[in-house]
Amino acid sequence: MVQRHSFAKKVQMIIVLTLVAIWAAFPIYWAIMVSIKPRAETFSVTYLSIPFIQFQPTLQNWIEDLQNEEIRRAAFNSLVVSTTSSLLALFLGSLAGYALARFRFYRIKNRDITVWFLSQRILPPVVVVIPFFLIMKTLNLLDTQLALILVYTTFNLPFAVVIMRQMFKEIPEEIEEAALVDGCSHFDTFLRVALPLSAPALAATFILCMAFAWNELLFALILSQKEAVTLPVFIAGSQQSRGVFFWFAATRSLMAALPPTILALLVQPFIVRGLTFGAVKG
Amino acid sequence: MKIDLGGRNAKFVFLLPAVIWTLFFTVFPLLYSLRLSFFRYVLGKPEQFIGFENFLRAFGDYKVANAVKVTLIFISIAIPAELLLGMALALLFNQKIPGRRFFRTLLTMPLFFTPVAIGLLGLTIFYEEGGPINSFLGLVGLKVPWLSHPTWAMAAILLVEIWQWTPFVFLVLLAGLQGLPEEVYESAWLETSSGWQVFRWITLPMLQPVIIIVFLLRLIEAVKIFDIAYSLTAGGPGTSTQVYSLFVYRSAMKFFDFGYASSLAYLLLVAISLVIAFFFRRMREIYE
Amino acid sequence: MRKLNLLLACLLITMLVALTTGIAQAQTPEQPWKGKTVTVLVIAEGPKAGISGPFYHFREEWENLTGAKLEIAEFPFGELHEKIFTDLTTGAGKYDIFVIGTWEYGDLVAGDWIVPIDQFYGDPRFPEWPKDLAPSVELLYTWGGTWYGVPNDSDGQILYYRKDILTDPKWQAEFKKEKGYDLPVPPETWDQLYDITSFFNGKDWDGDGEADSGISMHLKVGGQGMFHFMSLSAPFVVLPGDKVDNVHNTYWFDFETMEPLINSPGHVRALEFLQKLAKTGPDAQLGWTLGEAWDYFLRGKAIATFSWGDVGSLAQDPERSKIKGKLGCSILPGVYEVYDRSVKDFVKLEKPNVVGNTTGGTWHGVISKLSKNPDLAYHLLSFHATVEKSRYYAYHGWEGVDIGRKNQFIEPYGTNTIEGFLEAGWDKNDILEYNKAYYDNFYAKTILPYLRIPGAFEYWTSLDQHLSEAMTGALSAQEALDRVAEDYRNITERLGVEDQLRYYRESMGYAGQ
Repeated sequence: MVQRHSFAKKVQMIIVLTLVAIWAAFPIYWAIMVSIKPRAETFSVTYLSIPFIQFQPTLQNWIEDLQNEEIRRAAFNSLVVSTTSSLLALFLGSLAGYALARFRFYRIKNRDITVWFLSQRILPPVVVVIPFFLIMKTLNLLDTQLALILVYTTFNLPFAVVIMRQMFKEIPEEIEEAALVDGCSHFDTFLRVALPLSAPALAATFILCMAFAWNELLFALILSQKEAVTLPVFIAGSQQSRGVFFWFAATRSLMAALPPTILALLVQPFIVRGLTFGAVKG
Repeated sequence: MKIDLGGRNAKFVFLLPAVIWTLFFTVFPLLYSLRLSFFRYVLGKPEQFIGFENFLRAFGDYKVANAVKVTLIFISIAIPAELLLGMALALLFNQKIPGRRFFRTLLTMPLFFTPVAIGLLGLTIFYEEGGPINSFLGLVGLKVPWLSHPTWAMAAILLVEIWQWTPFVFLVLLAGLQGLPEEVYESAWLETSSGWQVFRWITLPMLQPVIIIVFLLRLIEAVKIFDIAYSLTAGGPGTSTQVYSLFVYRSAMKFFDFGYASSLAYLLLVAISLVIAFFFRRMREIYE
Repeated sequence: MRKLNLLLACLLITMLVALTTGIAQAQTPEQPWKGKTVTVLVIAEGPKAGISGPFYHFREEWENLTGAKLEIAEFPFGELHEKIFTDLTTGAGKYDIFVIGTWEYGDLVAGDWIVPIDQFYGDPRFPEWPKDLAPSVELLYTWGGTWYGVPNDSDGQILYYRKDILTDPKWQAEFKKEKGYDLPVPPETWDQLYDITSFFNGKDWDGDGEADSGISMHLKVGGQGMFHFMSLSAPFVVLPGDKVDNVHNTYWFDFETMEPLINSPGHVRALEFLQKLAKTGPDAQLGWTLGEAWDYFLRGKAIATFSWGDVGSLAQDPERSKIKGKLGCSILPGVYEVYDRSVKDFVKLEKPNVVGNTTGGTWHGVISKLSKNPDLAYHLLSFHATVEKSRYYAYHGWEGVDIGRKNQFIEPYGTNTIEGFLEAGWDKNDILEYNKAYYDNFYAKTILPYLRIPGAFEYWTSLDQHLSEAMTGALSAQEALDRVAEDYRNITERLGVEDQLRYYRESMGYAGQ
């Protein structure tokens, strides 16, 4: 009896796990299939669309899309904008995070400052998108990488502050005290002691910031015109007056989704912490 | 508790750059758009002060009411669904299951998939005349009007959203579960053999702080929904999936109706602020 | 010593530079625009299709010819308007050419933001092209008689049907048995078309074992469904007459009060008909954009569709179409009863009221006022508009240039011959059907008036959205169009009633009562 029960349970478990795997992976699998299908068969080949059995795969879509000059520019822009803004956010954020972890503020309490930072992240982008557009217009910054960098830094900064504060709090203060006693300035201590000690956290925060900036659509759509177009905007461009080019939507979404996904997998143990603003330990 | 590392001004040098940056790039735009919301803005004409007209218009505009309704429906289905599914998955993988790491990795992937891309791909996945989903449903004689029926279009958006964000809930809750002390469970199992009892009276109360955090974070993000509605249904059919952000975006960027759009954005800000104020104490406790 | 060296080096470099540029100039004296750049803003369609395709296709050829560089900026349909006016209102001037849907004219002309091309036309510095557009299309390239656009695309919706099935004696006999009259090929009225699509809907008429559909349309929000409605409703609404006045040849607004006509009994009846017609096709079409709707017809799943020239040319592509050689085309059907504003009732006509349309974008390039090289920009557009290129892109339908110029129409309708089309792979039956249908459409006696006032697309977006509400059954036809009318009043009021009225009269050629 016991044996049969555990066997049934095993089967049950396998079914559930298979369903979970299909659920999680299917859209990605499907994207790959659409990207290697001949265009005419986008809709006519169906069910699971198994290559070689249901259709003859082709690399035509990939080749054509990769040859497109404009897509390379979009990828380059995405790269520049997301790394620069993340570095900036990280720099400012770790400074402020350090201050909140190590010093005590009296007039406004530390936790209130922290929560204030956090509340900035809660701001729906659509609330500030119009003034940002008009301000960038006035400053003549529309369609520049700089405009996007400024925006993404702003939206990543609260995140970096809160996370880095948590990280610094976990480093024993004694090491820094020792450095201070040795005559280092606060800044030196921060730079030479605190930062290296929290390097893994820094890297992980950087990657999460980058993933956010990399995937962002609304601001990029509004602030870019030609020069500063990023990948998500470019992907949105597969929607055309004459319908959607599904094959390009597929190649481009894979191109766009790959970097943040791979990077995120690298810092997987940190993801939970990062995404909960340090409130839950992973 | 906290030692003053000496130097009264050093701390401000550390803190102020981030504070100034944030103030400059959020408070200033917010003031700017507050001003804007009292003006009528027409392309190529001078702006014109019209007092509260934009706000009055917003309250009388059935499209605004519709956008609010659509967004609320979206949130009130997406979040519970994600929480339930995420909780189920977390409980499942909290057991000793072979390949747990593999599944964790697999479930991390949707989180970072570019949303606008998944929306466009959704058009092929939800294709009604024999797309992958409908072709399998067809085997049992079903044909779901995914993108052509107001209710089902909302369902399609919800499915994409749930696909992308359930993993988040799952990962966080799993982390929470794994942080729970084992001794409590051991003694609990001596008292009862019902898994539900243990979950209801031990797991749930201990996990409550984590659940609240997940709930809050999802709430905050779900309100912002834009990308999927933009790329999958474009707000349709009719206005059945025209969520608030999409509506404001259209008013502003398609028709350059900046004044009206700003007033709409401000109303959202007020609503969000009320929600946040409600949870403010809770958040302060977390960051003690 | 060191100073001398530096001086020498400088001198040497200067000489080198002078020499190389001198050589470059000597080598290519025919490249007067060397080193300059033209940027085209165009709807996103990629290098191999639609309106943007030709720019990629001839980019190298044109760059070699002029020595200039061509940059292409693509944006989705929905973003184009914003990008154009952001560029203009900020004074950025990033684009030299906007490839626009012709509804943009109102905003562009009102702001004085585009350059008339009359000054360049006929100048030997530029490639030569004939002014041979059909008059109904020419109207869309001009404003108040002044040319702004350079010929490229001609859009209009015609009826496509499966000639092979409709002329099959077996189906004809069954149709007669069921509907009581001979199957009309092509249908002359919308009611006849409805009889056809409802007859064939749900039957397996192509013999593949699956039930097929009647009609295939694109009715997704943002999928340009309002164009279906405009073309279809034209004969219900547009009363034929010799001139444009408040009763005849009018569709959008009252010429005296700017009161919207969009919820008139004619419009409502047309929308009710569209609702009925849609029932003879797949439900999925309410979520379709052009691509899916065409694909469905091309794969042989629908008996009829009404759409742009793309369908005709895509049908020739064996990779995408199963219906090559089976195509029937005609001008859109008419109706016997058309609404007459003067008597506030429908009037019955002897013959069906058949109305041509220029529905769509008629996508073409206009030159930005901020362009630093308007002459170069004009060169590019002219290059695109030459007879050689115009025919090439008409033959190869994937470029999305639908036929509408005399040099493209086959004799006796134009000056072209059939050979080029056949060489490009067209089926003979298909091209002849297509050729005649488009001629009939663009040269029809009555043409659906085209809305080109400022904010035109905002008016259409409202129509698009509420149309979708009516099609899903959320609203009745009357309710939906009442909402559109309410939106129209609001938009007009916001943009200024007086201004809008002036532009409306100007764009329609209304001379007063």
